[in-house]
Amino acid sequence: MAETTVSVPSVAPFNPWKVVLLICVGCLALLFLAPTVGVLLSSIKTTREIAFGELWTIPGTIYWGNFIEVLTNPSVPQYFLNTIFVTLPATILSIILGVLAGYVFSKLPFAGSNLLFLVIISGMFFPPQVILIPLFQFFNSLGLIDTLWPIICVHTALGIPICTLLMRNFFATVPNALREAAILEGANEWQVLIRVALPLSLPAIAVLATLQFTWIWNDFLWPLIFTQSDEKRTIMVGIVNLKGQYSVAWGVQGALSLIASLPTLIVFLFFQRYFIKGMTMGAVKG
Amino acid sequence: MADLHLDNVSKSFGTLEVIRNVCLDVAHGEFIVFVGPSGCGKSTLLRLITGLESVTGGRIFIGGVDVTQVRPSDRRVAMVFQSYALFPHLTVAENIGFGLRLAKRPAAVIRQRVDAVARTLRIKDLLDRKPGQLSGGQRQRVAIGRSIIRSPEVFLFDEPLSNLDAALRVLMRLEITRLHNRLQATMIFVTHDQTEAMTLADRIYVFNQGRIEQSGTPMDLYNSPSNRFVAGFIGSPAMNFLPGKVEQTGDHMMLKIGSTRLRLDQSFTSVSHREISVGIRPEHLRVVESSAGHVRAEVEIIEELGAEVIAYLQIEGISDPITIRLPPQRHVVPGQQVGVRFASEHFHLFGSNGTRLC
Amino acid sequence: MERSALYWRVVLLAAPVTVFAVLVIWPLFSSFFYSFTNWNGFNPEYDFVGLENFAKIGSDRLFIGAIINTTIWMVAAILLPTLLGLALALLLDSKVPGGPIFKTLFYLPICLSAVVVGQIWIWIYQADWGLLNTVIRAVSGSSFNYAWLAKPDTSLGSVIVAWSWQQTGLSMVIFLAGLTSIPNDLLEVCEIEGASTWQRIRIVLIPLLTPATVVVVALSVINSLKGFDILYIMTGGGPFHSSDTLAMHMYNESFKKYLMGYGSAISVVLFLIALTIIRIYFRNLKKVDEIYG
Repeated sequence: MAETTVSVPSVAPFNPWKVVLLICVGCLALLFLAPTVGVLLSSIKTTREIAFGELWTIPGTIYWGNFIEVLTNPSVPQYFLNTIFVTLPATILSIILGVLAGYVFSKLPFAGSNLLFLVIISGMFFPPQVILIPLFQFFNSLGLIDTLWPIICVHTALGIPICTLLMRNFFATVPNALREAAILEGANEWQVLIRVALPLSLPAIAVLATLQFTWIWNDFLWPLIFTQSDEKRTIMVGIVNLKGQYSVAWGVQGALSLIASLPTLIVFLFFQRYFIKGMTMGAVKG
Repeated sequence: MADLHLDNVSKSFGTLEVIRNVCLDVAHGEFIVFVGPSGCGKSTLLRLITGLESVTGGRIFIGGVDVTQVRPSDRRVAMVFQSYALFPHLTVAENIGFGLRLAKRPAAVIRQRVDAVARTLRIKDLLDRKPGQLSGGQRQRVAIGRSIIRSPEVFLFDEPLSNLDAALRVLMRLEITRLHNRLQATMIFVTHDQTEAMTLADRIYVFNQGRIEQSGTPMDLYNSPSNRFVAGFIGSPAMNFLPGKVEQTGDHMMLKIGSTRLRLDQSFTSVSHREISVGIRPEHLRVVESSAGHVRAEVEIIEELGAEVIAYLQIEGISDPITIRLPPQRHVVPGQQVGVRFASEHFHLFGSNGTRLC
Repeated sequence: MERSALYWRVVLLAAPVTVFAVLVIWPLFSSFFYSFTNWNGFNPEYDFVGLENFAKIGSDRLFIGAIINTTIWMVAAILLPTLLGLALALLLDSKVPGGPIFKTLFYLPICLSAVVVGQIWIWIYQADWGLLNTVIRAVSGSSFNYAWLAKPDTSLGSVIVAWSWQQTGLSMVIFLAGLTSIPNDLLEVCEIEGASTWQRIRIVLIPLLTPATVVVVALSVINSLKGFDILYIMTGGGPFHSSDTLAMHMYNESFKKYLMGYGSAISVVLFLIALTIIRIYFRNLKKVDEIYG
């Protein structure tokens, strides 16, 4: 009985590929990290050090002057407050509107509701510049230019597509039987939405809250268009404005960027899972 | 020479032991079915044979070669997945020829082999379609096609029929039997459905909790299950189990079931005053006049299946209902008081730990 | 019952639909309206000028430049983040130790604002002490001093690199999600049939990532059309309009030169381009759905 000749390559316990891969990923990570590290380093160095080409070296001593400069600048707290006054209401409002619309589209569809849904969703894809001029004109005629109102309104409206999309998709996973059972018990749609659907949808709302917060906080275009005076600027426009004031004070600029990014960084690091989920959910199901 | 030999194979995930010291031999050309309830380890064992999982103990031989440390692709096994695992972006022809393409065989050779396989499986006119355009049964054939094209030593089927509807399942069962007859190849088929096991297998291995409970031909398992688990698992409707008591009366052993006493034959001498479990298949019970039976019972539910009637009866003094298979002309109605006669030569007696007593 | 359902639809949809209609749909249509006028942004009076604004587009050298730059920007935005994101996703998918940390690192830039990203990259390109020139000097030993953002030849490309740096994480995450959604048994078939790593990637993974790729490409294109903030910060469209895109050009014409009518015409063009892309996207999505269901 001839033994069949089968090659017997044994599974190696040590896989050199893993090491090669790790080195590849590590190098790429370094490359990716460099810009961020640059900002970190700049914020703890003096302008002199930076100008003499010592930005990219590990500092011997940490220089706190940049942060002190930023934090004692009276404009900075105002920028922060303005940004908060814009970001929080706009985030909350857009989610509320998205919840309402998403509920109807998933649980109370009607003839033409799919078309309406598509129209709303497509709002996500268009460049905001398309509606820039009419909105400017609109708020100008209301005398609201150089207030925070137009920014809040526009972000609320522009948040509706993504919020509606995610809420509709999430509500779709809430079993219809649950809604029907509640209605048989005598609940109306509002009670179903508030008492049944919403408590089950907290994860989706967390996703939206992180996304909307980050986007609105980071936005530059709308506050640039709608605000003119220094005391109405949000932090991102404020940074650009202060660049003039600190034109060669690179360290101060670095500290400023860092402080301005802190809220979104914190949200990102703590709610990363929600953030990624929102990005991929919105993208894949779009 | 055995085509497949497992020597003391074990597998644990962490502290969880899924396969415990399994030894088995499969001869060339045999059709083997692994059957057992879900979670019994049968699918894991299949994955150990393919090499998709590695064993934590023991050795695996395929075609006489120790393949325990061999990569799946070099084990000369082919597997048909429960979900068929067809590539949605490839046509039927490309799916079937997938392995040959990976092996960089010339396109003409691949085309020729694919055609031959497609002819065998009667899917020749589907070759240019994508899996998304196929029915469940057609996908199944394509999956089988991909497995036979490389003429492997051992074919492995992981519950391949469970995604099909009942009618199609019967058809595909016949199809697979036909395929086996034609290829005369070694096949291992995993299922939780004992009917599939009974109809397909040359030999069945019954698994429970990571161990082989019993192996043998379908009729062996049906007629002489070696323990209560196998007895209850094989056969549909399932075997009845009645609580019984063995008593010695004079030089006879008597079996007490409910209110009746039956005489056991001479071979049964070893136990006395023991609580046992009496197994009897539904076809070995007869419904008679209430006075003429071994026990009295009340008919609870009737299921008329056309060729036969399945009756569920409540015996006095016994909590679980029993199942009886009756000829269709036999008329009983729910609520009726009847007598039940046991064909005691078909008793399977099991001890309290489930092992067979005689 | 039916009546009350109608009631609730109206009640629940009233607010979101009104807000959306007033602040998005209506302005969209007014854009078309203003594109036929010569409104200057603050004067309440303006005239209808018919197709004059659109005629002007054809002869606007800056507009042509912006179209070319937008195209370059879009092509680069498709290629760089998509390919890099795919490579990173495949690398991280192969169970590299420390995977989740790397994932966070690559993804981190997405949570930074365009303003901050622009700021960071201005320093990388800074002529005297920027990282890029520092590295080039260290490698070549010469006293290399090149202001990347201040030269028309490199300004657009430099911004594209910064943009790609921020967008790659997003592509990577979508590809990773695509990879996890590939059924495990398909990968096991590869193992049983003996696919090499490269065959696995080429014949199986990349085709199966088609749905994710469609999404990534569409997002890249759409985001690149919106690309304004980072350009505004890094180059302001300069020098000499060498990095003007449509969005940038539209802003300049409307809010720097106060040619709101002309700006509206540009935004209408921008809208039509976006509409075309979205239609292509949805058509492909449908095709992808048919195969991958």
